[in-house]
Amino acid sequence: MAKVLMKGTVAIAEAAVRAGCRFFAGYPITPQNEIPEYLSWRLPEVGGAFVQGESEVASINMVYGAAANGTRAMTSSSSPGISLMTEGLSYLSGTKLPALVVNISRGGPGLGTIQPAQTDYLQATKAMGHGGFRVMVFAPSTLQEAVDLTYECFDYAERDRNPVLLLMDGSLGAIMEQVEFPPMKELTDEGTRKWNLAKHEGETRMPRMLTPVYPEVILENENKQRALLTKQWEENDVRVEEFMMEDAEYVVVAYGISARVSKEAILNLREQGHKVGLIRPITLFPFPKKTFQNLNYDQVKAFIDIELAIPAQMRDDIEVAVRGRAPVYEYGRSGGMLFDDESVYDAIHKIVTGGAE
Amino acid sequence: MKESLLLSGSGGQGIISGGFMLAESAVESDKHATFLPEYGPEQRGGSAQCTVTISDTEILSPLVKKCSSLIAMNEQAYKKFYTNLKAGGLMIINANRVTSEVTRKDVKVLSIPCDDIAVEIGNPKIAIIIMIGALLGASGILSKEAFLSSIEQKFAEKKPEVMEMNAIALQKGIDIGKQSL
Amino acid sequence: MAQKIYSRPKSLMPMPSGFCPGCLHPLATKLIADAIDELGQNNNAVHVLPVGCSALNLMYWRGDMLGAAHGRAPAAATGFKRSAPDRLVFAYQGDGDLAAIGLAEIMSAANRGENFTVFFANNSTYGMTGGQMAPTTLIGQKTSTTKYGRDAETTGFPMRMCEIISTLDAPYYVARFALNAPKGVNQAKKGIKKALQYQLEGKGFTFVELLTNCPTTWGMTPLQSLDYMETNTIPYFIPGVYKDKGEKA
Repeated sequence: MAKVLMKGTVAIAEAAVRAGCRFFAGYPITPQNEIPEYLSWRLPEVGGAFVQGESEVASINMVYGAAANGTRAMTSSSSPGISLMTEGLSYLSGTKLPALVVNISRGGPGLGTIQPAQTDYLQATKAMGHGGFRVMVFAPSTLQEAVDLTYECFDYAERDRNPVLLLMDGSLGAIMEQVEFPPMKELTDEGTRKWNLAKHEGETRMPRMLTPVYPEVILENENKQRALLTKQWEENDVRVEEFMMEDAEYVVVAYGISARVSKEAILNLREQGHKVGLIRPITLFPFPKKTFQNLNYDQVKAFIDIELAIPAQMRDDIEVAVRGRAPVYEYGRSGGMLFDDESVYDAIHKIVTGGAE
Repeated sequence: MKESLLLSGSGGQGIISGGFMLAESAVESDKHATFLPEYGPEQRGGSAQCTVTISDTEILSPLVKKCSSLIAMNEQAYKKFYTNLKAGGLMIINANRVTSEVTRKDVKVLSIPCDDIAVEIGNPKIAIIIMIGALLGASGILSKEAFLSSIEQKFAEKKPEVMEMNAIALQKGIDIGKQSL
Repeated sequence: MAQKIYSRPKSLMPMPSGFCPGCLHPLATKLIADAIDELGQNNNAVHVLPVGCSALNLMYWRGDMLGAAHGRAPAAATGFKRSAPDRLVFAYQGDGDLAAIGLAEIMSAANRGENFTVFFANNSTYGMTGGQMAPTTLIGQKTSTTKYGRDAETTGFPMRMCEIISTLDAPYYVARFALNAPKGVNQAKKGIKKALQYQLEGKGFTFVELLTNCPTTWGMTPLQSLDYMETNTIPYFIPGVYKDKGEKA
């Protein structure tokens, strides 16, 4: 298929359809409205269903219902709306139902701003709801990557019987860029057949119950399984990009849009002879701890966490991975404004030349 | 080659659709492109601006502090953005609406009465196409054919006169741009 | 030859009920189970469970079940039914679940005319959490959060869900029955079956309210609770068919 110029939100929506998503429920909130708008006509075209929910709360529970049937289901929202979905996310995880939740994030807290921000990192990676469950969090930095990750997210969700979060800030949602779509996935119920409530013609099975409530002993076992799952993610599913890291003395850590802007700045710093590299987590959870463990700390002098968030939210994860072997600095904007290649250049340059406090 | 173009003006001047068509024609010419519209809570009116980046290689930052070309369709847009242009960049201003005197000496300036020309051609809405034509003519970032096919896609369902007028406007702009070289 | 004229519905597990003595939930559940059996739908039905005592059905129901979050059963049922239109989907919700925390979900599902059935067990209190005031608690009724009886001055009036839902255009069938006496039970059974039949015919949203009791938190014997329903509940929540688009035609 040829490359087409597409807006981030719309690209995600089409990628979801190609990944076999056949149910969407969502509630209007800027800056992600093109996702429900697109799917409202696109899903019926492919035999799927679209429901405009009465709230984010209702929408995530509609997704819950569809997922119980084994239907590939998703919802999307932006920061304040995602907060409203946290109960539903906890229930999805508790009932072991797969789903894709997309957060096209904006600045907070509160109603904050409709402008882009990366201020939902902690919520996404630490506690996407009550009860101590975790979800895999993917953070694309180009629209092609957003398309490819969306395409795969449903597979992860079904494999793990757990919701998956795609976290992308509002600027990437609004940007148009060329993308190439993968083909329509052949729909099967292979991943959900063993547990879903769907009926298959000419087959009988025992009645099934999908519920988020467990007797104590079973609940503890389920939580042990969840802990094991988290470990497996850390072993097998970490995704990270290393950019100009071979000889890097100063390591920028950034994801999503911040990583793209940082790369531009790093190229310019390299031209000035500064040995700067980038670690870009693609999975925010599981966090690429090993990448940090494998660094040569005789070579690395400092880390610079660059995010559209004040204070920087990924910093705790970086500190844990670095274990005090080098200082961690941060630079960010928060409030909806973006940074550009020059301001990021200046921030890194200051640290590289010893000007940072 | 990497060019970042800032198109600015007010709602209704075709800033967003013009920028989109530029990005689209870049993609169709096998180049990399990003298109970033600025949006506010208002659904209509107010200022309009977008940044289009066109490159032969993967575009890292779609957010750039200084653009290589600026199209300013009115006085407010000029005042807001004239400092955002790189030294040596190309500034294309709407002579009918930008009243300030251009003070920057380190950039190339094309002052085009695009509103008047658009009315002469037959439709005030095509002023932006003249400006984009001038950009193509002066910078050569995209071929005329690539942009024409993007216009065709946009106006495929409209009357053939619309397409024809756009083509005339584009050629007029290209001529102005080339003459400036 | 002996003929079996009465037996446990196929849609129920062969085990005794663990609900409190005198509670009408098991009766309501059995009526639904009978109707589903009679319609030959016991392998096709999907029971969406709420949160509250009504959710205890997870132990007694035999058939596919989906546990929903508190108040969200109509949303979960929406997602399921839209993905599996051939299944017979019903939610069974209590009054706190449906008329308080889940008000937006029930009203919106009803307003969209979702093709599933909601059974609404109204016992005018939160049974599972210890008998707090519900939106349906009667004026003067004592609960653990209205020690001196519900006072309209500070807590408003009991909400009549059948009346509210029947003002919407989309719902196809809306009815209320009282389960405190055989007459109401017989009418309820017919109404439940009718609602499910309408769903099978694809008619849209159907809603059956069942007036029930909570002798435990009401602080009454089972018989006293039935009398209380007769003299207090029924005069306020008047049984009847509030909407039946099928009868009009």
